[in-house]
Amino acid sequence: MEISEVQSSKAASDHYGLLNPNSVLGGVFFVLSMVFLFFIIPNYINLPPYMQHPLLSPQFLPQLAGWLVLILAFVLMVSGLFNPPKREEADELRRGVPVLRQVLMLAAGAIYAMFFEQFGAIGSGIFASVLLFLASGLRSVWIYALAVVFPVVVSLLFIHVLNVPLPTGTLWEALFQL
Amino acid sequence: MMSSKIGFRLKRSALCVVTAVSMACGGVAQADEWPDDNIRLVVPYSAGGTTDLLSRKVADLLQRELTTVVVENRPGAGSTVATGQLARGGRGSDHMLLMASPGHTIGASLYPNLRYDPVADFAFIRNVINIPNVMVVPGNSPYNTVAEFVEAARAKQLSFSSPGIGSSVHMSGELFKNLTQTQLIHVPFRGSGEALPALLAGDVDVAFENMPTVYPHIQSGKLKALAVTTPQESEFLPDVPSMQQAGAGYGLENYETSAWFGLIAHKSFPEAGLEKLESALAKIMSGEDFQNFLPQFGAVAGEEVGDDFRTMVDNEVAKWSEVAEQANLKR
Amino acid sequence: MDNFSEVLTLFLSVDNFLAIAAGVLIGVVVGAIPGLTATMAVALALPFTFSMEPVTAILLLVGIYKGGMYGGSITAILIRTPGSPASACTLLDGYPMAQQGHAKKALKTALYSSVVADLISNIALIFFAAYLAKIALNFGPPEYFWLICFSLTIIVSVSGNSAIKGLIAAGLGIIISTIGLDAVYGTQRLTFDNYNLMDRVSFIPLLIGLFAIPEVIDFYTSKVAPHIRTAVSGASLTWKEFKGSLKTVIRGSVIGVIIGAIPGTGATSAAFISYSEAKRTSPRKANFGKGEVEGVAAAEAGNNGVAGATLIPLLSLGIPGDVITAIILGAFMIHGLTPGPVLFQENLPLVYALFCGILVSSFVLVFVGNAAIRYFSLIADIPKTILLPIVLMFCIYGAYAVNNSTFDIGLMLAFGILGFVFNRTGVAAAPFLIGFILGPMFEDNLRRTLLISKGDPTIFFRGPIAWVFITLTVASLVFAFRRYWVSRKEQQAEA
Repeated sequence: MEISEVQSSKAASDHYGLLNPNSVLGGVFFVLSMVFLFFIIPNYINLPPYMQHPLLSPQFLPQLAGWLVLILAFVLMVSGLFNPPKREEADELRRGVPVLRQVLMLAAGAIYAMFFEQFGAIGSGIFASVLLFLASGLRSVWIYALAVVFPVVVSLLFIHVLNVPLPTGTLWEALFQL
Repeated sequence: MMSSKIGFRLKRSALCVVTAVSMACGGVAQADEWPDDNIRLVVPYSAGGTTDLLSRKVADLLQRELTTVVVENRPGAGSTVATGQLARGGRGSDHMLLMASPGHTIGASLYPNLRYDPVADFAFIRNVINIPNVMVVPGNSPYNTVAEFVEAARAKQLSFSSPGIGSSVHMSGELFKNLTQTQLIHVPFRGSGEALPALLAGDVDVAFENMPTVYPHIQSGKLKALAVTTPQESEFLPDVPSMQQAGAGYGLENYETSAWFGLIAHKSFPEAGLEKLESALAKIMSGEDFQNFLPQFGAVAGEEVGDDFRTMVDNEVAKWSEVAEQANLKR
Repeated sequence: MDNFSEVLTLFLSVDNFLAIAAGVLIGVVVGAIPGLTATMAVALALPFTFSMEPVTAILLLVGIYKGGMYGGSITAILIRTPGSPASACTLLDGYPMAQQGHAKKALKTALYSSVVADLISNIALIFFAAYLAKIALNFGPPEYFWLICFSLTIIVSVSGNSAIKGLIAAGLGIIISTIGLDAVYGTQRLTFDNYNLMDRVSFIPLLIGLFAIPEVIDFYTSKVAPHIRTAVSGASLTWKEFKGSLKTVIRGSVIGVIIGAIPGTGATSAAFISYSEAKRTSPRKANFGKGEVEGVAAAEAGNNGVAGATLIPLLSLGIPGDVITAIILGAFMIHGLTPGPVLFQENLPLVYALFCGILVSSFVLVFVGNAAIRYFSLIADIPKTILLPIVLMFCIYGAYAVNNSTFDIGLMLAFGILGFVFNRTGVAAAPFLIGFILGPMFEDNLRRTLLISKGDPTIFFRGPIAWVFITLTVASLVFAFRRYWVSRKEQQAEA
């Protein structure tokens, strides 16, 4: 049932229209490189008071790369309009993915990105892994035990065998200090 | 916020269990009990560099005298990330040391808006190792003395290499440039490994490199040493004059630079700790192991202890600040 | 004859063999863990060598170096997480192979290519050190500049389906690489006053972010695909298949040796140049990037060819070509030895004892590598629902461990999102990486050249080495454009 749906939608439009990924990507990069060339470079790359040669300027390489991106993005955008790419099967796999699954992934990422110091290496490892296991809808208990065992074993390995310190978690420190 | 580390916590809590019967856990340990925990020696550069190598040797010797010393690498923005973290103090800073080097004083000029004072925010324990820099020219260079070189550099533009902007090698060159009123061009590389071939091949005219980097090439004749940058000649290059002698009459009478490596700590470091460290360092530095170690790096033992060390750093900060300003590097 | 027996007494000790075995083993394991590099392992092992005999100490470090070079490819192949920068090239074909159920074949290809390349590299070290060192000394900034230009031309061949998108990615990589303090003037570039950006963007978080994290994001944003149970049961590598790639392996090794002998260029470039050359000449070029044995072989041969060769400038000139050899130089100095011509005059037996040990390390790598494959390939049998959260955890810990900084975790995740966008829009990530690595080298050498010549441009054409690389650059560009037009014509003919 599902497969035939996929096939029929594929048959309906083998190619994208004007709003195809290449044109959109080219357009986005075009705008971004304009911003980069005309706003970011002059404002965020400081020039020294004296330079021996214009090619020695700190702005030279960023400008070169910026113009490269600008021109190629334009080419990509235009060629996308005239010659839209074909749809790929992989895109179809992304239709109808449960929202919860994606939200849980984002939450796991957020824990690592924002609370690594607070929860500590072990704490955030456990939280994030549990969330990701939940996202896949895993049911068996021993798998969730893994989510505890792995962060503990791996951080101890990092700290004691490899001599690489990881944070304990300021949150726990504050709690146990009370 | 200084994050404290699991390894440290575990040790600490084990200790707490033992002493909890009579004492409140987490309370301040008795001053005379220092060290009551592992000592952490922070290296503000990546593993594998000279600072790292020297720190690991010092840590190795230090832990025979005191307690376990754990070396931690915390590179970033010269050495200023690790130094800034130390300056903020917090938990565990009573057992934390940092191996400071010229980056500590040069970084204060080079990096914008540092949130610490390189002198006032720290306790200064001891300068441990000094490595002189050597003014070297390629073996086939027409210049055989500092005087000849300065004369030539005043007549035309010459260039000097360094392993990177803000390194002691670079700043030694900038200082030379200022004092001799010459217009040397700085050619930065990334690391001595890249800088050395350009010097050997004569692509650059001079360098003020660290002794251990260039010593074998001086021995083999591929490089000529014109002067050492310390006030005294080095025992490793007995025929080479000091810059102050060789450059007399060219503005170099007070020229002095060297790569120094010394231990500093947070300003609230316990008094007992300072004393214990000073005596432990004095002991290991007079020991055979340390004395045998020094020549491998063309190094000499650092002499400045405590306040003398602080004064030395203070002077360095002032000196480099002026040089950085002249070289348009000051932020 | 006296010397010969002295070499044997120095070399034939239980300690030496143990050191080699332990070194290779540590290297393989550490190299395979995302975020932990062979550099870190060598640095951490250094203090333990203080009390060893000099030969033993250096063999231990060299063993770690070589093991790490191979170990990095294991996770690159299995979980798209390059353990070291150089193995980013291995995953281009290694990971697709593993996904098609040929993990074991990919791992074996990587191992045997590594071993052959290592052996060739060692032989070059022993017999041609003096000659190659001379070339290395003739490499000044202008010669480097052209070498980098030539290396940049390989971007087109690792761009996947679209050369335009590949070049855009490379441009973005170059832009990201310019973040930090300017190398000549010390002014701030794109740092936005953020301290964590002053020393440029950290490499390991970028690497892991770009390749490993998109797999995780991709998995949780698509429907659960059935797990392909394969790896261990998957077929091993046959001699016939390997023989087909042998020419590529040998060419890759030679490229690796030349690049390795020139200080400061690095294994990553060697791997990509070797890969690009293999793709250009292979009869199966269409299959490159989709799981081609020859692609894995080329990449691994390129990066392992470097390992022995970086010891050439170290031993014969006392010049370390990369961070690891800089640490090994430290180990020499700690033991009162100074690498360079003097070492060959005064400690010849020691040098030859080292050579023996280095040769033995290639064979040890076969055994350790095979054992590692047996255990590591089990990873490919773990369902992704369980594997990916654990991979993510390793990546996070690894990214943090590089600089002890949570900023790097954020950086890694940001590059993960970028890599995911690249994946979805058909932009290859490899050109981004190449731009990031070569961009600064391009700029540095351009500027150094102008500085040493005081602005005189004729220095760029000053000698035969420069002309060789100018010719190679032009030829490579012409070739790339011609191929691009041919493939466009074919596409148009199809449509």
